[in-house]
Amino acid sequence: MEVSAPLRAASRVDTKLVHAHGVAAIVTLLLSVTFGIIVSLELLYPDWGANAAWLSWGRLRYAHTQGIMFGWLGNAFFAFLYHAVPVLSGRPVTSARLGRWMFGLWNFAAVGPGWVLLLAGFSQPLEWAEFPLAIDAVVVVALVLAVVQFVPPFFSRGLEHLYVSSWYIIGGLIFTLFAYPMGNFVPELVPGASGAAFSGLWIHDAVGLFVTPLALAIIYFVIPAATRRPIYSHFLSMLGFWLLFFLYPLNGTHHYVFSVIPMSAQVGAITASVLLGVDVIIVVTNLLLSLRGSGLFPRDIGLRFAAMSTVFYLIVSMQGSVQALMSVNQTVHFSDWVIGHSHLAMLGFATFAGAAGLTHVWQRIPTARYNARALNHGYWLLVVGVVLMVTDLTAAGLVEGRLWQSGAPWLDSVRAARPYWIIRSLSAIPLAGGFIAILVGLVTGPKGAGLASVEASVGLEPVAAIAPRLAVVATEAS
Amino acid sequence: MTRGAGRALRMSYLVASVAGVGFFVMSVALLGVWPKRVLEAETRAMAPEHPLGLSVSELRGRAIYGREGCGYCHTQQIRYLHADMARFGAPTLAWETRLDYPHLWGTRRIGPDLSREAQTRSADWHFAHLFSPRAIVPESVMPAYKGLFEGAATEPRQEARDLVAYLDSLGHAREIAGPEGEARARAGCECGDDEMAQMAFAGPVNAHPARARRGDAAPALPATVNLAAGQVLYADHCATCHGASGAGDGVAAAMLLPRPSNLAEHDYTVERLADALWNGVAGTAMPAWREYSPHDLAAIAQVVRGFRSGGVEAPLPEGLVALGERVYAANCVQCHGERGAGNGPAAAELKVAPTNFQRQRPSLAEGLRALRNGVDGTPMAPWTTRLNEAELLAAAHYVRGLYAGDAAR
Repeated sequence: MEVSAPLRAASRVDTKLVHAHGVAAIVTLLLSVTFGIIVSLELLYPDWGANAAWLSWGRLRYAHTQGIMFGWLGNAFFAFLYHAVPVLSGRPVTSARLGRWMFGLWNFAAVGPGWVLLLAGFSQPLEWAEFPLAIDAVVVVALVLAVVQFVPPFFSRGLEHLYVSSWYIIGGLIFTLFAYPMGNFVPELVPGASGAAFSGLWIHDAVGLFVTPLALAIIYFVIPAATRRPIYSHFLSMLGFWLLFFLYPLNGTHHYVFSVIPMSAQVGAITASVLLGVDVIIVVTNLLLSLRGSGLFPRDIGLRFAAMSTVFYLIVSMQGSVQALMSVNQTVHFSDWVIGHSHLAMLGFATFAGAAGLTHVWQRIPTARYNARALNHGYWLLVVGVVLMVTDLTAAGLVEGRLWQSGAPWLDSVRAARPYWIIRSLSAIPLAGGFIAILVGLVTGPKGAGLASVEASVGLEPVAAIAPRLAVVATEAS
Repeated sequence: MTRGAGRALRMSYLVASVAGVGFFVMSVALLGVWPKRVLEAETRAMAPEHPLGLSVSELRGRAIYGREGCGYCHTQQIRYLHADMARFGAPTLAWETRLDYPHLWGTRRIGPDLSREAQTRSADWHFAHLFSPRAIVPESVMPAYKGLFEGAATEPRQEARDLVAYLDSLGHAREIAGPEGEARARAGCECGDDEMAQMAFAGPVNAHPARARRGDAAPALPATVNLAAGQVLYADHCATCHGASGAGDGVAAAMLLPRPSNLAEHDYTVERLADALWNGVAGTAMPAWREYSPHDLAAIAQVVRGFRSGGVEAPLPEGLVALGERVYAANCVQCHGERGAGNGPAAAELKVAPTNFQRQRPSLAEGLRALRNGVDGTPMAPWTTRLNEAELLAAAHYVRGLYAGDAAR
């Protein structure tokens, strides 16, 4: 049967691995969110977990963030990559067998045991690096395997021109491998203030070289694939990419402003943080112009997640540029403002990008169940939840920061935070509801309904025409 | 693709790879390796000659601190900012962190910074607070760490002792280095005209508002007070130890040694209360309350003075007055001083300052209790083996007579 080039590429998608990572992503997401909800409630009911060490605030706090980064975002990115890499490169990933090993390693040798060890009291007290060293070693192996799995397809026929998503995928995977040891191993060998300087590199690179490039790879992929229009400007795409890889790693020290770390490093990092905002304006401008005609809330759910992710990316990056400035930083540092900021990044920007990638590829698995209604509800619940939580925590941070500067008794800042913490815990209702709705959206509903929804959202005939053939090639491939 | 275009593409990929790796290497060099070299040089130049290390127990405590995520609510980094310095003390210097594998600086403060926690609070305060934070600070949101204890705050397991040992080491190395350590650091600091670097030596090393300071001057408390505000403050901060009616029977009382004072059984001068509230009571769990204004402290003092039932004590039987004086002179002056001002020759040696009877008058019953049972957790021993009933009674009466009242100064 005659099939078009994109279809031949699609036929190389290993839908089983997409499916497995997709389900693992949602399951680990729900667990990580549960940890987060308990942690938020423990600030309101601090005696709640007193008799079980593994339920105590500190350990669950470790499990929350590690689960979000490795369990949820890691799996969601891999699910997307198993779809996107063959489509972008026109060749299958390196090895399906390697894929099964990576899946097992990531979920059953890193995230799962990592959680058990954290809760049992084996951890390292380093931000975004809480899994103990044994797990860190597994993660490094898995990251190497991810490079082996996803990078060679882009070059196996020699050098070709790459689409911007491909750049982000290659850059993200390789540089995560470089950056990971800075936060996970170096501070064990380099003490105190010097270790903190390296720690700062990873705290920022975890977001900047792992989460952001892969999230942007999704957005750059989903927008043209769903709108069926090319990206607005490839020049701006590449300008944004190179500025990101130049500026993001130079941000690390902005986590330790007014510390003993040399002031020129602090000032350099603050300058890079401000310039990063310029880069993000370039990237987002390009993305929003690519979305023109589709509106900010397109009918296609994947596209809609991508559009909102872009908006969150703009807001969180502008916020990041501003809060790095010394005059702002001295007030908001150490406060709930920063917790709001990190949730806007991970729960707003990155999670919406992950959901965009996941729903987009799910629509294109003919054998996957798909419930458009549930996904639609999930989207709106998440938007409400993120906005409520981040607004609330930002305000809380300003109140705390002012009280700390005023010299008021310490307890006043704890007392003042309480109403904001209540609202933050309440924001868990729409958020948890949204995530459950997404799970429902991806495991209920008729098989193949995703393709129908793509067709409905674009209103074009070709989808109906290619669907049976896609189903055929997908079966042949599996 | 033509050969020329292929070569151009290969070149561009080569440039891209070199540039990408170059950016990353540059970030590590500029924000990691170079600061490390500067900080190591600073450490060499500014550390005391033989800086204090951590004991095995303190190291174990450090691991527990890391394991439980303490650093996610408590920073260990005082910034070069006046607000931080006023609340916690001198900014953290590089050499102070030289043994932190890995660092525990933290990026969030839900509770206060702990960089200067050493000798700030008593061990039993820490035990009670770790076992049951809200028994000490009702509005605290800190988790309870009951697993570190054998069922009671007074039964700490080794883990609890290690953790408290670690907390009591934080900032100790810099404090114990003393003025010569500070002078050495200042000389080694290439501060020059760098105002921010000079801030490291601008104030006291430990400015913790809760730290008990023996013998510091206390501010005069204003005479007019807001009693209602004082009652709220007392209920929020004092009642957990001293009890709602001041009887020394709050929920935390049984966890602390010496026990919290029974405020209803003492008359206190205003200066005495100002001293206890402003400076804390060194050697006991009573912290200083310098976060609160003299107005607030005056209101609390008024509430405390209101607890004394004020019943008239039975007069001393004739003939015992002289006996009391003799017993006191023979047994008590070493610590409590000739005129009862708590300034006997041995007083300075004692972990808990002896009671100054000029500023504090125990009821007869309270005085007798102390004489008969001693005061657990202080050097005050029981006197029943050395003194007979008449002598005990005479001494209890005698010390009451030393009270100078508010007109003392």
